[in-house]
Amino acid sequence: MSTDDRIDLLQGTLDMLILRTLLFGPAHGHQIAKHIQRTSEEVLKVEHGSLYPALHRLERKSLVAAKWESAGGNQTREFKYYRLTAAGKKHLVAEESKWKRMSGAIGRIMWPV
Amino acid sequence: MEADVRRDRTNYVARMKFWRRKKENDLDRELQAHLDLEAEEQREAGLLPLEARYAAQRALGNTTLVKERTRDMWGFILLGQFWQDLKYAVRGLRRTPGFAVVALLSLGLGIGATTALFSVVYGVLIAPYPYAKPGEIWAPAVVGPKETPKYPHFYPPREFVEIQKLPAFSSGMATALESVLMTGDHAPESFGGVFMSGNGFNFLAVKPVIGRTIQPFDIGPGGEPAPVVVLSYRLWQRLFDGRESALGQKLVLNNVPHTIIGVMPPRFGWFTSDGFWLPLSMDPKEESYLNVIMRLAPGVTKQIAEEQLQALNQQFARVAPQNFPKGDFRTVFLNYMDITVASGEMKSSLNMLLAAVGFLLLIACVNVANLQLARTTTRAREIALRLSIGANRGRLVRQLLTESVLLSMLGGIFGVLLAIGITKAIAALIPEFYVPNEARITVNGWVLLFSFIISVLTGILFGLVPALECSRPNLVDSLKEGSRGAGGSVRGQKTRRTLVVVEVALAVILLAASSLTIRNFEALLNINPGFHPERTLMVDVQLSPKQYSTIEQRNIFAQTLLERVKNLPGVLSATIGNGGMPWGGPRSSFSIEGLPSTEAQRLTVGLISADYAQTFGVSLRRGRQLTDQDVMRGDHFALINETAAKLWPVGQDPIGKHVTLDLLTKPGGRQVLVPSAGAADVTVVGILADTRNAGLRDATTPGIYVPYTLLAPPGRVLAVRTAGEPMTMLNTLRTVVQQMDREVPLARPITVQEVLGFETVQPRFNMALFGAFAALGLALAAAGIYSVISYDVTQRIHEIGVRLALGASRADVLGMVLRMAGSVVAIGLAIGIAGSIALVRLVRFEVFQGTAFDPLSVLMVVAVLSSVALIASSLPAYRAARLDPVTALRHD
Repeated sequence: MSTDDRIDLLQGTLDMLILRTLLFGPAHGHQIAKHIQRTSEEVLKVEHGSLYPALHRLERKSLVAAKWESAGGNQTREFKYYRLTAAGKKHLVAEESKWKRMSGAIGRIMWPV
Repeated sequence: MEADVRRDRTNYVARMKFWRRKKENDLDRELQAHLDLEAEEQREAGLLPLEARYAAQRALGNTTLVKERTRDMWGFILLGQFWQDLKYAVRGLRRTPGFAVVALLSLGLGIGATTALFSVVYGVLIAPYPYAKPGEIWAPAVVGPKETPKYPHFYPPREFVEIQKLPAFSSGMATALESVLMTGDHAPESFGGVFMSGNGFNFLAVKPVIGRTIQPFDIGPGGEPAPVVVLSYRLWQRLFDGRESALGQKLVLNNVPHTIIGVMPPRFGWFTSDGFWLPLSMDPKEESYLNVIMRLAPGVTKQIAEEQLQALNQQFARVAPQNFPKGDFRTVFLNYMDITVASGEMKSSLNMLLAAVGFLLLIACVNVANLQLARTTTRAREIALRLSIGANRGRLVRQLLTESVLLSMLGGIFGVLLAIGITKAIAALIPEFYVPNEARITVNGWVLLFSFIISVLTGILFGLVPALECSRPNLVDSLKEGSRGAGGSVRGQKTRRTLVVVEVALAVILLAASSLTIRNFEALLNINPGFHPERTLMVDVQLSPKQYSTIEQRNIFAQTLLERVKNLPGVLSATIGNGGMPWGGPRSSFSIEGLPSTEAQRLTVGLISADYAQTFGVSLRRGRQLTDQDVMRGDHFALINETAAKLWPVGQDPIGKHVTLDLLTKPGGRQVLVPSAGAADVTVVGILADTRNAGLRDATTPGIYVPYTLLAPPGRVLAVRTAGEPMTMLNTLRTVVQQMDREVPLARPITVQEVLGFETVQPRFNMALFGAFAALGLALAAAGIYSVISYDVTQRIHEIGVRLALGASRADVLGMVLRMAGSVVAIGLAIGIAGSIALVRLVRFEVFQGTAFDPLSVLMVVAVLSSVALIASSLPAYRAARLDPVTALRHD
């Protein structure tokens, strides 16, 4: 897939995707970026630049919690791991249903049966 | 305690710093980890280590920007940024001290003048009174169906009692004024006595300094007042040196010893600020007229109260129709704040001045905006650089605005310091009798708040244009331009010139207004009053109404006094009486024999002695004067003025005709005596030339002059025309009076010229302030013109160098720069003059009454502005012409 076919993320959706990614367990910034890119089959391009402001915003809103931890077997390197909080889970559910309703509505307009 | 607070604060700051540093470190580490991982991945994908690094960096983007955006998410950040901006701004100002000084001066003057004028407006119009809720005090007015209410209605005591019973009012109070003679231990003196109903002091709710105020129990069940008196602060200081032992002492007032029961604070000035207050007689048979004010009961609207009082007024009118307009009338409530002494001329004058000072502030703003713009244009490169490496435009605008607001706040501080001085100057200049007694003109908390708000708004106002202008993302041009340094950006230049045009136009409007006030004043000085004001002294001669209880006693005193004064050396002529000295006097309803009566019209009555016309230099037009004999005998002869002569139809000669003057039988006021066999009928024997008998600025009203012996109030005015300086005659007059009766005081000595001076005091005030503000505006505009032209010259040094090198003469260069200035000034002038004419036409300003913006004023404005503009622009022009082409060409 060429880079031109990638879609810039809609404002606000990045937060939802990050929270959704964290549902699988704690992850650091790079992992989150890669995960979103991969699972969307490289369609969604995550600007790494916009990822960190988003993470820090979520952290300030207490939707995620962060902690420095060493990665896997490598004891010398530490990463900042983000974890979903209870508030974050709730927020995700709300955002998800909002998103479903919206995409449904858009779908009905674009492809009426 | 304080130390704790300080430690807490230091702790807090320290913690904040620590927290920030930790967050910063965190973010660095996090991003670095991201870059490392990304690079590793790229290497695994087969890139060389260095390439992998670059690819990782590319994927992340501008690290600084990412950091900045992330920091934005931390909160607190705005404060941090603000602090940062502030430090940056201070550094910037220090780097350009010339700019800072000029900007601060402009702003200081603008904000200072505005603050000072606001403090006057606040003191005089917004909060003049120390009384409880002055905005909720209402004064009833009674007017015909189509008349606009201006003055409150006066009620006799028995009506006031009824009004107080209306359910619409929670309370009411009455005040009456009458001159009171003080004798006894102190030198005899006459006062404007203020009589107040029992609840008056409670109604106004001001506490005394010592003792107590007049209370309802000071007025007996039959309405008779107790002999007690409350002193004003000033009288207390003057008579008793502020000693508390004054309480309980007695003052002999109108021959009755009154006990001093209290002293009011300095700011309490109910109808007097240097006299005293007495309980009011509420005797229902009393025919005095009371000034009545009310407060509404809770939940009652003004309209309901008006309706209730209207019904009551109609009842009163059936019993005493003479107190009410004939035919239909309506009752209207006037708010007490709208009928202060300042509410007429002073109010409109202050409002106009506030507008003028607003213009001045606007000029200052435009001036600073221009300077700021010039400065930011030279900083265009720096700003373009910051934009190109990803600075966010909003952030940049915010930073530039922080600079402007810092500047305006500093200007505001300077301005407040100036305002304290200017306020004092205005307070000294302001005509006293157009300002309520109680008003205090000072720079107080509200004024400071006002000037703070004004400063912030000013900063935003003048900062916004430059901030938006230079943060416009036109990077390539700016970067290139900055490096070449030849000719400023055309757009910046245009904006700057537009701003100067605005400045000039505003200054022109200020100049036009001030030229109008000058013309107005000049016109006033040229008014012919119809009499000669030179060397004429007037004094009040106040008799005790009890000792001089018959009209004969009073007339004999006046006659003897006049006789003795006339024979004094240095006295050319003297007259005694009431009214027409040099203007004013009782007004009387009248009817002319053989002509239909005119209900609404009144004659202004002058009670005069034979030498009135001679003393005041009023010429006789026809007929004859009143003779000494006429006056002594109290003959019913009268002189009329030319305006009154027009009451007769053309062709009819008023001389020999009869006029019924109601005043002569119903003088109104219990202390005014009339002959027992009084008649209201007088015969016209002569016509005097018109004088300005209603004041210098008002049209002449129909007037009639009758022998003073027909009506005898206890106080009369003695007017003396002297050969020398009139005031030197005062002591001689006092001796003459004291020889006749030791207890008769001479009050209010004043020359006719001084009386004329009072008439011009408000126009003089307007002229002084408008003139000062216009001069300031002009100076600011000149500074604006100067700075813009200098800046343009600097920007075009390279071009001028080329021109000179190619053979342009110095005169050419001089002409070029002056033309540049000239075009800007001409446009500003045209807009300003058009604007002034439109403003004068659109708004009917009381201040400019009777003056039009005529060609002469326009010429004056054009001349003043052009010469100032020429001076302001000739300096940079001269500098440009003197340039050495070689240096100029090297200039980058």
